[in-house]
Amino acid sequence: MIVADKNRDVRTCVVLAVVCLVLQLALAPNLGLGNGRANLALVFASLMALLMGGSRGVIAGFVAGLVFDLSTTGPIGLMAFCLTVSSFVLGLEGRDRMSGDFASSVALFSGASLIVSLVYHLAMLLVGQASSFIDVLFLRTLPTAVLSIAFFLPFAYYFARLRSSGPSLGGRGGHFSTKGL
Amino acid sequence: MGNAKQSSGGRALVVCAVVSVILFTVSCQTGDEGPLGMVRGAFQTVTSPIRHVGALAAAPFQGLGNVMTNLTADQATLSELEAENAQLRARNVELEEAAQSAERLQDLLDLRDSNDLQSTAARIISGSVDSWSSTVTIDKGSSDGVTTGMPVLSSSGVIGQVVSCGANTATVRLLSDENSSISAMVQSSRAQGMLEGSATGDVSLRLVRTSQEVAIGDVVITSGLGGVFPKGLPLGQVTSVENNPGDLYLDISVELFADAENEGEVLVVTSLTEEQRASAEDIAEADAQETSGSQQGSDEDSEDGSSDGANQSQDDGTSQDDQTE
Repeated sequence: MIVADKNRDVRTCVVLAVVCLVLQLALAPNLGLGNGRANLALVFASLMALLMGGSRGVIAGFVAGLVFDLSTTGPIGLMAFCLTVSSFVLGLEGRDRMSGDFASSVALFSGASLIVSLVYHLAMLLVGQASSFIDVLFLRTLPTAVLSIAFFLPFAYYFARLRSSGPSLGGRGGHFSTKGL
Repeated sequence: MGNAKQSSGGRALVVCAVVSVILFTVSCQTGDEGPLGMVRGAFQTVTSPIRHVGALAAAPFQGLGNVMTNLTADQATLSELEAENAQLRARNVELEEAAQSAERLQDLLDLRDSNDLQSTAARIISGSVDSWSSTVTIDKGSSDGVTTGMPVLSSSGVIGQVVSCGANTATVRLLSDENSSISAMVQSSRAQGMLEGSATGDVSLRLVRTSQEVAIGDVVITSGLGGVFPKGLPLGQVTSVENNPGDLYLDISVELFADAENEGEVLVVTSLTEEQRASAEDIAEADAQETSGSQQGSDEDSEDGSSDGANQSQDDGTSQDDQTE
């Protein structure tokens, strides 16, 4: 039986949110690949969906997308919608899918990253904020997905390998850590 | 337990998706003018310190980002950047030219103020139209109060004198012209002479007695004796001094401070004040130099006749050697 430590979930959520927000605002704008920028909101939403799943994952995705929309010049609500849906899909199979399963969580995130980036940039093309499909696909979607995956890897490694057998992200070592929580 | 979470996730999905679509619709309709724009503005204001910190931290690595951006930029972007670069380069040249012009004008103003000159500003519009005279044409003429004989200065010093005057233009004979000759003196020793040009463009200070002390590097200035040039204006610098035995005068080469070819703006001195003219003391000093020089020359002629002869024989010997060689 899986026992949920709600305090630990809250700590994890808050720490992840702060880290991803700082990275999104401070680092992502200065780290470009083509016209793409890393999407830390997608990283946060996916982590929350894979770690917690369910409604909390969906709400985290919605909030992360909303913050992303507010920090950019695009239409508000677009990334919120994308991350809401992606978080729901990633969280369908229940909570804590990352523990001890680094490869599958990276694979899930990679797929989600590609799809979310493509949908988001296609929508931007439709509302007139992008110029061509080639530009959308090769200069925005792929670089964004690649950079986002690169940012996701350390988090995935931590939650899949370290956290399942070591200290928690919240700072205080959880006594449920060794049980995969 | 898992099914319960999935169902609550579904409800959250529907609610959040609907809210997202509503926000998206409102955002597309109102743009940055509506309440969402205000919220975005407030959010970006609150988070701006984090952005600034990130920009500062990433500044040393900005070049790497630029390299990647350049590598992945499309041809249209590169063409636009090239065109923009060409425009900016041309603009930069214009601004540099304007800055240099402003600097020269400021120097002219400083020169005018420091010497209390009554003058009018002019611009050199062309060089010499023939190959045997060193002149420039300025864009001010008799309608502007310019008349023949007026001195012309640049920010570096005197460049010449107006020799002919039209209604809107005037021709200025440069100091390096063969027919140019103005009263000058060495600033340090007050040795008086005439600064003269030559056909080759070299300028020399003549009629300076051998008894006067002149050294390489001395500054030559106008003496004001002619009554045309204000006294004390910089002319040039002594580059060589030769004191040939038997000569009454030194052979002094001068390098001018002002190069008319590199000057754009000049001042035409329209009138002199009494202070700028040579005073009676200056004239007396010049006469005294000439008189003492003449007396010294005649004394040397009478007392050192044998030595002159010896020098002469030495000179002759040298000449013979030269001829032999």
